[in-house]
Amino acid sequence: MMLKNNLKEIRQKNGFTQEELGTDVGVSRQTIISIERYRYKPTLELAMKLAEKLNIKIEKLFYFDKE
Amino acid sequence: MTLSKKEISILVEVIYSIVFTLIFLPYFYENQEKTLILMDGVIEKIFQIIISTVIYFSIAYSVLEVIYKKKETVDERDDMINSKSYKLGYLLYEFSLFIFIGYVCSKFQNKELLNLTGNQELYNSFELTDGGIVFFVLVLLAFTSIIKSLYQFYLYRTV
Repeated sequence: MMLKNNLKEIRQKNGFTQEELGTDVGVSRQTIISIERYRYKPTLELAMKLAEKLNIKIEKLFYFDKE
Repeated sequence: MTLSKKEISILVEVIYSIVFTLIFLPYFYENQEKTLILMDGVIEKIFQIIISTVIYFSIAYSVLEVIYKKKETVDERDDMINSKSYKLGYLLYEFSLFIFIGYVCSKFQNKELLNLTGNQELYNSFELTDGGIVFFVLVLLAFTSIIKSLYQFYLYRTV
């Protein structure tokens, strides 16, 4: 099972750039890029901050890909 | 390929380790059979190392600050990359020290065996001076530092 996310789609839907979202949750733009590309798995704290900022439930933002 | 400030800082460290290896290690290699007190100009060499290190990093980081004016955020991803790379460096250093201890033990064991054969010339050549230990530790530090920094750079590019 791989941990995936809808961060890119939801971020774009909310009109945030990677830089803006990163600044708002206290991480670098590179970290946002890495999460969106599934290269980096964020901590629970960062995942919750992202979900809160994007006004979405954490389980809608992050999910397990069972394939 | 565009490099971030953090990646360039790592490359600055790698370059320093390589330059240090090329410039200062030959001196310790040539004097590895002497004790530290008998080494020619060891105090001057240590001062040279300290001063050149301070000058190198001051200039390198000042230039970096001028080029990259924007302050970069240090976050959990940096912590993860740093902990992984420092762990590798630590393991390498520890492993190399074990090898060195094994080498020293086998050397003294061989020396005792030579003593039994009565070959005095070979017996006397089996010396391990503090100059040799300093050389080995410096090689080890340079090696682990280069590997650690390259791994850190690799993680920044791939994670």
